[in-house]
Amino acid sequence: MADGPALAELQRRFFELVTGPEGVGRELAKRGLPEHALAALIADDAHASAVERLDVYANMYFFRILDVLRADYPKLAAVVGDAAFHDLATGYLQAHPSRHPSLRYVGASLPGFVAAHALSEGRPWLGELAALEWARVDVFDRADADVLAREALAALAPERFAELPLAPVPACALVAAAFAVEDTWRAVEAGAAPEPPAPAADGHAVLVWRRGVVVHHRAVERDERRALELLLPGTTFGGLCAALGEALGSEQGAAELAARCLAQWLADELLARPSLP
Amino acid sequence: MLDVPALGHGIGLRAEHYADVLAAPPPVDWFEVISDNFMVPGGNPRRVLRAVRERWPIVLHGVSLSLGATDPLDARYLDELAALAREVEPAIVSDHLCWGSHGGAYAHDLLPLPFTEEALAHVVERVLRVQDRLKRRILVENVSSYVAFTQSTMAEHEFLAALAERADCGLLLDVNNVFVSAHNHGFDARAFIDAIPRGRVGQFHLAGHSQLGELLLDTHDHPVRDEVWALYRHAVARFGAVPTLIEWDDKLPALARVVEESRRAKAVAAEVLSRG
Repeated sequence: MADGPALAELQRRFFELVTGPEGVGRELAKRGLPEHALAALIADDAHASAVERLDVYANMYFFRILDVLRADYPKLAAVVGDAAFHDLATGYLQAHPSRHPSLRYVGASLPGFVAAHALSEGRPWLGELAALEWARVDVFDRADADVLAREALAALAPERFAELPLAPVPACALVAAAFAVEDTWRAVEAGAAPEPPAPAADGHAVLVWRRGVVVHHRAVERDERRALELLLPGTTFGGLCAALGEALGSEQGAAELAARCLAQWLADELLARPSLP
Repeated sequence: MLDVPALGHGIGLRAEHYADVLAAPPPVDWFEVISDNFMVPGGNPRRVLRAVRERWPIVLHGVSLSLGATDPLDARYLDELAALAREVEPAIVSDHLCWGSHGGAYAHDLLPLPFTEEALAHVVERVLRVQDRLKRRILVENVSSYVAFTQSTMAEHEFLAALAERADCGLLLDVNNVFVSAHNHGFDARAFIDAIPRGRVGQFHLAGHSQLGELLLDTHDHPVRDEVWALYRHAVARFGAVPTLIEWDDKLPALARVVEESRRAKAVAAEVLSRG
């Protein structure tokens, strides 16, 4: 046997070398260590050197996560191209090493990272496209919920409508977007060349939600977005009307908007079934 | 001694096969699922798992317990695994003899341990805590490895045997991993299997591997190789009728092809066992 570092120290050295961005040989060089410095830690033999052996882990680390990021962000990857996406992932992992035991969450910070990345110069919408893709990943496996059905409302006495609790299903997210990134998403999905999205009207957003087991999204404009922002934390139909009334300065307009939204959300199966009072 | 459930031969439940599995129940005895993929609140994965569980026994196989890490055991992960196990009532719960995180960052890989007394004591203590939390024995799987640490003071099979004894856990013998590691480190795969104590092996894994230069890689992207089938025969002769899984993850073929591989394992095991 040979003496060696304690287990925690061995794991620290191993982890740093295999998760470094440049491969084990260069990571050693960056630390001013010759390749044979590894011989104190890892057995060399005729099959493969210690560096080659450790590089197996370094490559598996990077490419496994790259594959997951590509699967989570296929539209972003299509827009920027393979080489740029590879480099983006390299930088991303340095800035945001995975902090959750499941790979499911490894890409959670990519929208913010890409928004601040040089790739976004001249393409200020890349972060929003990524945010849309992440929202789709995120609602895919959020908690199930029973849906509020139109029939359940039919049984509600008109005077009790104001107290009807309104909350979205848990598998729901609203992505603010200054550009119509849903158009770019759709073009790539259809196999077309990714066109830059047009700037969107003020208040534009993309609603992402799961209906049954299938993830959907659709663009929403300013008025519905306002209503959705009231819906997301949970409200009542009366509360929604009152808040919209304040925002619009018109009770009548607010009531019409709330009724229109409610009809749309019921059709979307966006609302969770409350326990009615 | 371990109570080995008479499960027969199973395959991994993979997202690409969900629709086919639910549409026409394939002739397999059970499914193994990667626990981590189902430790989510809802949606399609949980729906499929419930449907599959109604028809087949389920084995929970994890990749992130990180039994060998010096990071603290992840209490939230353990809680979620315990909750999943309560719901699924799996026939077996397993994870790997490896580590996967350091300083709170995850490599999402099955990283190898040095085979030292220090590492052994560390893993024994963590397996005991996991078993205590889950209120059941777990199986610990030997991984494929590409490095050997100079400071190791015992062979991998000695480490595994001591772990099983001291933590009173079971072992998941991955026959392909034995083959891959034996090639990569130049040890005798059959001698390895002969040194694993009878009565501790609760499951076998079989998988395909690939070659990178002089090294073999555990890639789960091929059919089981002939040499691994031969080693499987050797393992069945030693350990008897042990539940056996075909693992296939990358370059995943149609469900029927994976099932065919499982049927082959069943036939091989039956032939070995019939010879007594």
